[in-house]
Amino acid sequence: MRGALGSRGLRSRIVMGSAVGALLVSVVLVTTTWLLARSYLLEQREGSSTRQAFADANVLGSRLATAGTAVGDVVAELAPSGGADVVVRSGDAWYSSSLDVGARDVPVDLRAVVAAGSAGTIRVDTPEGPALVVGVPVSSAGVEFYELAPLTELQQVLRTLAVVLGAGALAATAAGAAFGGWAGRRALQPLEQVAGAATRIAGGELTTRLPPTADPDLVAIVAGFNSMVDALAARIERDARFVGDVSHELRSPLTGVVTSVEVLATRRGELSPRADQALALVERELARFRQMLDDLLALARLDGAPPSDPDVPVSVTALVREVLAAGGWDRGLLHADPEDVTTVPGDKNALERAVRNLLDNAARHAGGPSAVHVQRRDGVVVVSVDDDGPGVPVEDRERVFERFARGPRAARRSLPGAGLGLAIVAETAARHGGAAWCTAAPSGGARLSLSLPVGAR
Amino acid sequence: MPGVAPRLLVVEDDDPIRTALRWALEDEGYDVAEAVSGEEALAAVGTATPDLMVVDLMLGSMDGFAVIREVRREHDLPIIVVSARADTHDIVAALEAGADDYVTKPFQVKEITARLRALRRRAGSGAPAASAPAEVVLDRTAPALVLREAAGTVHRGDEQLPLTLTEFRLLCELASAPGRVFSRQVLLERVWEHGFFGDERIVDVHIRRLRTKVERDPAAPRVVVTVRGLGYRLDPQ
Repeated sequence: MRGALGSRGLRSRIVMGSAVGALLVSVVLVTTTWLLARSYLLEQREGSSTRQAFADANVLGSRLATAGTAVGDVVAELAPSGGADVVVRSGDAWYSSSLDVGARDVPVDLRAVVAAGSAGTIRVDTPEGPALVVGVPVSSAGVEFYELAPLTELQQVLRTLAVVLGAGALAATAAGAAFGGWAGRRALQPLEQVAGAATRIAGGELTTRLPPTADPDLVAIVAGFNSMVDALAARIERDARFVGDVSHELRSPLTGVVTSVEVLATRRGELSPRADQALALVERELARFRQMLDDLLALARLDGAPPSDPDVPVSVTALVREVLAAGGWDRGLLHADPEDVTTVPGDKNALERAVRNLLDNAARHAGGPSAVHVQRRDGVVVVSVDDDGPGVPVEDRERVFERFARGPRAARRSLPGAGLGLAIVAETAARHGGAAWCTAAPSGGARLSLSLPVGAR
Repeated sequence: MPGVAPRLLVVEDDDPIRTALRWALEDEGYDVAEAVSGEEALAAVGTATPDLMVVDLMLGSMDGFAVIREVRREHDLPIIVVSARADTHDIVAALEAGADDYVTKPFQVKEITARLRALRRRAGSGAPAASAPAEVVLDRTAPALVLREAAGTVHRGDEQLPLTLTEFRLLCELASAPGRVFSRQVLLERVWEHGFFGDERIVDVHIRRLRTKVERDPAAPRVVVTVRGLGYRLDPQ
């Protein structure tokens, strides 16, 4: 039961709760009203019937007091009001005012009471409906007087009353449900606002705040939410500043080393062969260190605050061509339909880095790209870099985009690279509203693809 | 001026970087002077009369922006900024203060020397194309705005406008084909000798600075106009 209720929405629970509440209250009220009305009306009816019966019994008694009057004649003359019938027992003979009634209609219990000399009342069910039987002993004439008063009319009234009250209860239940729906909406509205604000904040709009409210029930929620967002924004800003500080702190000493090594490199001839080898090693490691720091900072920037530079239209085909040229790759690797418009809104430097990382990845793990495709397909531009390497097993195809996930051969051959390159590709794609994925190239090597939507991000 | 080593002032408060940079630039044939603070840099500009400057933005009490602004009051020599961050507004602020170009740490000396060479090329004799007209009237409404490429001057009436060498070179490039649209990419390649991935903000900031000097109303430019989405164009008035 609890589980069934718990699985429903808060709003439907409020609606159901208030409907059930309204139903219970109205059932209690309706039942009480009906019972009270019923007993009151019955009492009234019984009283009037009894009075009438006594009056009629008196008339009968006084008529019979006149000598020579036959009981049957008097009974025929008696015409009680309200459609009541009269049954009189005189000795063993029974007389009635109507052919429809007779001794069979007088219950034995009542007969015993009246025979004992007391008046009595009993309710019976006749084929015509419920009726009230009043028995009065007329001791002066030695007869027992019974009057049968039908209760059909009263029952009609009670039935109508029941229908009206039932309809009222249903209406109250419906009104309760409607109120519950309204109250639920009112109660959930602030929650919906919170949800909307949270969604916007998650989307990067860190300036989003809930509007201040005068509602004392909501002040605490709004204040709590807003201070949470303040704290979050401050935290993000602190992190971003930290990245900037780290960047400065690490880059300065690195600059000194890079420049000094360049000075050394111009004096190669003065070095012994061993020193020259050591210098070559330092240069290689330094390049790797630079790359790693660069990647880390690029990734930190992608993780941090939303892009500060506005998007510019970037021709992906031109960009890929330039990246190939800048990296010293063969321009013939590029396959692009010159008819395709491959312009996307984006951050040119970030896209350049992503494409460069795809090419570098192919170089590291497969000796270089075998083909680069730029294609436009419904609403996106897809850049695919194929290689002739061993390919990526299906189970690793998502893992290669994780940070510090190296390809299988890299671990064996200790190739350069911090394993951040493809993570940057994936983050850059996501930043532009696109995606990055890995499949098999037709040649059997790996195909790494990057999609970028042509619409504004 | 062949044979005479160009004088270069390195303003950098980090001793290892400054020293290594001096060695490397001396290897490249520059006559290098050093300054460790903004104040020292301003004094050295007067005494060492450098042809070029390399300025780190993060200095002590007087930062690189202030140094650039002070130097620009009097001098039009090319200034390259060294910054630890390429993605901040620092770069734009430094360019607006008057820097001509920038490199980010950790740079390789060949990046700096390539930039310096590009700046030197236009800072040298000017070497305008032989076909270049002696003067181009940019705005004939008196007082007229006149560009004399060979002389390296721009006059409004009798007054010579204080353009930096880069601003002057940029104006000459636009004036080489009045009415034609130059993309930011093309201007970057021709004036700064940057490749495809150069920072287009450099062009925008220099255009802004150029306008404050040559336009009658820099807020509503008529001579150097922006062509939305394409680039810039020179419209002689």
